[in-house]
Amino acid sequence: MSGTDSDGLPSLARRVVAPFVDRTVAERLAISVAAILLSIVVGFAIVLVSGRIAECSTAAWTMPVTGLGFCYDPFEVYVVLFNGALGYPFAAGEPGLFNAGWTPFNLSLGLTLSETTLLIFTGLSVAVAFRAGLFNIGTQGQLVVGGLATALTVLAAAPLLPAGPVAGLALIVLGILAGAVGGGFWGAIPGALKAYTDANEVITTIMLNFIAANVAYVLVLEVFRAEGSSVVATEYVPEYAQFLPWVFPQSSDFAVVALVFGIAFIGALYYLVEHTSFGYDLRTSGVQAAAAEYGGVNAKATTVRAMTLSGAIGGVGGAVWVLMSEGRWMASVPALGFDGITVSILAGNNPLGVLPAAFLFGLLKGGALEIGFRTDVPPELVGVLRGLIILFVAMPEFFRMIGRYAGVGSRGPGGPKTGGSKSDDADPADDTAATDGGAADA
Amino acid sequence: MRNPLADASIPVLDGLIEDDYVRMLVVSTTGVLGLLGVLGLLFPDSIAGDLSGIVFSSSTASSTARLAAPIVLAGLGGIFAEKSGVINIGLEGLLIISAFVSVYVASAVGIGNAVLGVPAIWIGFLGGIAASTLLSGVFGIVCIEFKADQIIAGLAVWLIALGLAPFMSTVFFGGVNTPNLGARIGWRYSAVMVVVATLASWWALNRTAFGKHLRAAGENPKALDTVGVSVSRVRHAGVLLSGVFSGIGGSALALSIGQFVGSGDTMVQGKGFIAIVAYLFGNYNPLGTLGAGVLFAGLDATQIRLQQLGYAVPDTLVQTIPYVVVIVVLALVGRTRLPEAAGEHYETED
Repeated sequence: MSGTDSDGLPSLARRVVAPFVDRTVAERLAISVAAILLSIVVGFAIVLVSGRIAECSTAAWTMPVTGLGFCYDPFEVYVVLFNGALGYPFAAGEPGLFNAGWTPFNLSLGLTLSETTLLIFTGLSVAVAFRAGLFNIGTQGQLVVGGLATALTVLAAAPLLPAGPVAGLALIVLGILAGAVGGGFWGAIPGALKAYTDANEVITTIMLNFIAANVAYVLVLEVFRAEGSSVVATEYVPEYAQFLPWVFPQSSDFAVVALVFGIAFIGALYYLVEHTSFGYDLRTSGVQAAAAEYGGVNAKATTVRAMTLSGAIGGVGGAVWVLMSEGRWMASVPALGFDGITVSILAGNNPLGVLPAAFLFGLLKGGALEIGFRTDVPPELVGVLRGLIILFVAMPEFFRMIGRYAGVGSRGPGGPKTGGSKSDDADPADDTAATDGGAADA
Repeated sequence: MRNPLADASIPVLDGLIEDDYVRMLVVSTTGVLGLLGVLGLLFPDSIAGDLSGIVFSSSTASSTARLAAPIVLAGLGGIFAEKSGVINIGLEGLLIISAFVSVYVASAVGIGNAVLGVPAIWIGFLGGIAASTLLSGVFGIVCIEFKADQIIAGLAVWLIALGLAPFMSTVFFGGVNTPNLGARIGWRYSAVMVVVATLASWWALNRTAFGKHLRAAGENPKALDTVGVSVSRVRHAGVLLSGVFSGIGGSALALSIGQFVGSGDTMVQGKGFIAIVAYLFGNYNPLGTLGAGVLFAGLDATQIRLQQLGYAVPDTLVQTIPYVVVIVVLALVGRTRLPEAAGEHYETED
C-alpha cells in the first residue's frame, strides 16, 4: 500500500482527478447504492464464513458444486431481512410472486415505519449541522434531553387541562415544543463552545451525550421516577396526549400522523436550507467559513444557530419517541441519535435524501427482529451491515477508483471545490455544497 | 499500600516533562492526593479518613490498574494516530474487537494448553492485539488510500466492531457474552504494561527519528515529503500503532476478568471515548495521558469502594465527572490543539 507513493502513477492519477471530485447528485446516488450493495456482499461473506464455523446438526444451506454444508443460509437471511421487515408481501418459496393475505397495516411494517419516523428526525438533525460544516455527534444527547423535557412538560401540564382530544392536541404541541427547547438548549452548548472558544464540536458533543444520559438517568431515578416502576422511567403521559396507532396494530407503536409530521418536517427543512437567507448563511459558512464572513455572514452566530436548530430537531425526535413509541421517558434510550448520523451520511446530508435513508435503516431494524425470529443467524448481523454501509459511503474514492479501472470514470464538471482533495471535519458538508438539492437516496 | 500508579511517582521524571500544562496537571493531582493523605492521617474517623483509606488501598490500586489499562493504552494509540495526522475516533471499536478476540483465541487454544511454551491466555492476548491491529490497518487504508473522511470512517470502525463482536460471540458461544475462561491475567501485569507502554511512547515520540517524522506528518506533511520521507507510510505506521496499543488495552480489559461481555455497549462501555478525553486532557503527552487515565479510572474505582462502604454516592454522576472536566478544559483552558494537518489528506507532489 505504501508503494503507491513511490511509483507515482496511481497518485498522479489521483492528482489529475482531484479537481473533479465534487459530487453530482447522480454520483452521490451511485455511491450510496454501491455502498449498500457492497455491504450486502460483505455481509453475505460473513454469514457464509460464520455458517461454516458454527455448529449445527443439519446444514441450512449447501453450496452448489462443492457440496459444502453451511449452518446459515445467506440467501434466506436477506429474504427474511427485507421481506420480513415489510411483513412478507412477497411469497418466498410458494407459487405466485405476492402473498395474497398481505395487508400494508401489519405489525412488521408498523415497526419498520416507526423506526423510520424516528430516524427522519435524528437524520435531519445531523444533516442540518453537516450543512453548516458542523459534525453533530450529539443528536443522541439532544434526543435524550428533549424527550425528558417533553415527558416532564406533558406530565406537568396534563392535570391543568380537562381530558379530551382538544387537550390532547394542545399537550402534543406543547410536548413537541418542550422537546425542541430542551434539545435546542443541549445543542446550543457545543455550538457556543465552538463559536466562542473554538472547542471541537466532535469532542464536546460526544461528551455531552454521556452527560445527558447520566444526568437524565439520575434525575429520573431520584426525582421523577414513576412509583412502583421496576425500570428507571417517568409516569406514562395520558393516552389522549400520545400519537396513537390508528390503523396499525397497537404493539407496533407506529402512528401515521407522526410519519406525516416527519415528512412535513423534511419539506420545511429543505425549504429552509435551500431557499431562505438563513439557509444560505448556513451553507456558505459550511463550505467556506472565511468567505462567508467576508460576504457579511456572521459565522459565529450562524454556528450557534445551526447547532441550536440541529439540537431542536433532535429534541423533537425525542418528543416523538416519548409520545409515540414509549408513552413515557425511560432510561434505556435506543441509539437513535447515532443511527441519525448514519442516515444523514447515507443521505448525502440532503434533507430530501433523509427519507429513503431513514426507511432503509428502518427496514434493517424491522428485519433484524425477523432474523431473530425466523433464522438461526444472530440478528447482530444487522449492526455489522450498518457499520459497513457507513464505512463504504465514507470512501467514495474507492468506488471512483473501481469506476476508473472499469472504464466508466466519473469526471464530472469541476465545481466550487478548491484545494485538491482537502478534507477536514467539515468535509461532508462540502460534498453537498456542489449539489443543489435532489435526493441522494438508497 | 500506596497506589503504584498514582501520579505521585511522576515528579521523579520531572525532567522529562517539558510541557508546563502537564506539569501543572501532575503537581495538582499530587497535591490533592497529598492533602487527602494528610487529612486522612489527622482525622481517621471522618470521610477524609475513609476516602484516603480507599484511595491508598491495594484493592483500589488493583481496580484502578484494571480500569485504567484500556483507557491509557487506547489513549497512547490515539496519540500516535493523531500526531501523524489521522484522527482515530474508532479507538472504542478497536478495544471491543480485541477484547472479544483475546477471549475467543484463549478459549479456542484451551486454558491449560500452551503453544510453543506460551500459555493459552497469553496466546489470546496476542490474538487480541492482532485483531485490533488488523482492523486499524483497514481503517488506515480507508482513510489514507481511499481518502475517506476520518471521523466517519472512525465511527464506522466503532459500529462494525459493536456489531461484529456480539455477532461472533453468538456464533461461537451461543450468546453475546462469552463464558468465563476460568483464568485471568493479574492486575500487576496491566499496571506494568501501562507504565512500560507510556514510557516507551514518550521515548518514541520525543527521542527518535520516527517520532519526528510522525509529528511532521501531522503538522507539516509537505516538509516531510520534501526531505524524502513518505507521508502515507508514516501515517500508516501511526494508525497501526494505535491498533497495537488499543489491542493491548482491550485484551488486558477482557482477560483481567476472563470474559467478554457483549450486551449493550459491550464491556468496553465508552472507554475508547474516555481514552480520547484522556489524551486530549494530557495534551498529547503520554505521561499526561497516563495521569488523566489513572485519574479517571481511580475516580471510578474510588466511587465503587465508597458505595461498598455505604456512602450513597450517585455513581452515575461520578462517572460524569471526566466528561464535564473535558468540556471545561476545552472551553476555558483551550489547551488542546489538533496537529495542523490532522484530518486532511496529503497529496504527494512528485
